[in-house]
Amino acid sequence: MESQAPRVSVEGFDGPLDLLLELVEERKLDILTVRLGDLADAYLARVRAMAELPADEVSAFLALASRLVLLKARSLLPSLEPLPEEEAESEEELRARLLEYAVVRERASALGARLRAGERAFHREGGTVELPPRGGEVDALALAFGRVLALAARQRDEELVTPGERYSVEQRTSEIEALVEAQGRVSFASLLGAAPTVGWAVVTFIALLDLYRRAVIDLLQDELFADIVITRRDATSART
Amino acid sequence: MTRGELGRIVGGTPRAVESGLAELVAAYEGTGLRLQRSGDEWQIVTAPQHAPQVAAYLGADRLRLSAASLETLSVVAYRQPVTRAEVEAIRGVNCDQTIYTLASRRLIEERGRKEAPGRPILYGTTWEFLECFGLQSLDDLPRALSPEGALVLEGQPETTTPSTLG
Repeated sequence: MESQAPRVSVEGFDGPLDLLLELVEERKLDILTVRLGDLADAYLARVRAMAELPADEVSAFLALASRLVLLKARSLLPSLEPLPEEEAESEEELRARLLEYAVVRERASALGARLRAGERAFHREGGTVELPPRGGEVDALALAFGRVLALAARQRDEELVTPGERYSVEQRTSEIEALVEAQGRVSFASLLGAAPTVGWAVVTFIALLDLYRRAVIDLLQDELFADIVITRRDATSART
Repeated sequence: MTRGELGRIVGGTPRAVESGLAELVAAYEGTGLRLQRSGDEWQIVTAPQHAPQVAAYLGADRLRLSAASLETLSVVAYRQPVTRAEVEAIRGVNCDQTIYTLASRRLIEERGRKEAPGRPILYGTTWEFLECFGLQSLDDLPRALSPEGALVLEGQPETTTPSTLG
């Protein structure tokens, strides 16, 4: 990114003020007391030495050059009438700008030194911390796992006894629909019965999903791993 | 995280939060962490003296800036909020490119518009700026670098030509 940027700096000087400041420092002069007009010749010599400046940059350098020459001329001919433009930027104003720029350059180099020292900070990349959902206690998890184990154990037994048992989702769906129609409210646990096989549980569950999709029933679960309550969705609430 | 958010979460008054933060700042002293503040925003960051190790862990590259970018950045840092024209008046050169570079590196950002002709964009430094330079807050910016520095009026972006000269 930086290398693609057209360089404002020319021949090591970062603009007219930078060049002027460089001249002051080279001669070990004090910005507060130096007669800036005295630097006009040296400044012009440097500008002339710069090869192939883009036009808009040349103008910036030349604007300062002309001011320096004017300051020099005025110091040589004290009787010279000050022009209105001169009053706009007297030597003191130019000095003030140079002073201000000197501070900026010093601060920039201090910041650069900090950067090179590399003593920077890092923050932790954001994102929210995911908390487990409410009700996800260890007990509930252990209980659920216990049920899975019991189911698995029973599954093995069934495979030995009745390997050919088959269930139909359509049949189970109409069964549940009739049950909900009659009772209005059924729990998932009671639908499964005391000792469901995996196949039975799956068919029952798919039947419920199908009924829910058809907006025949509503499903309600108070907390994680709690029993699911199945209610009939009445015609009025279905419409809203 | 702002002081207001902290107050809402812990249910404390702004003053209580403030003193709690001050305690935390003191508690982190000498550890690998510290609190960084930008305006009213607070965040825990790694301590700059451990930057080499953290950078190695994160595989982070060191930021490099040209002298021109550093100058522009220092003007924005010390004079914010400041417009591009004001930066250019101080540096005496066009700063279009350096402002663009600094903004794209998220070291400076827009801070609204100045109520002046053309409503120019005001720029200020970012959270990343504090991080990259290992500053705990803007108060940490090195002040009074030169004896002449005292002559320059701070916090008045308008004064490109200070009148108080000795």
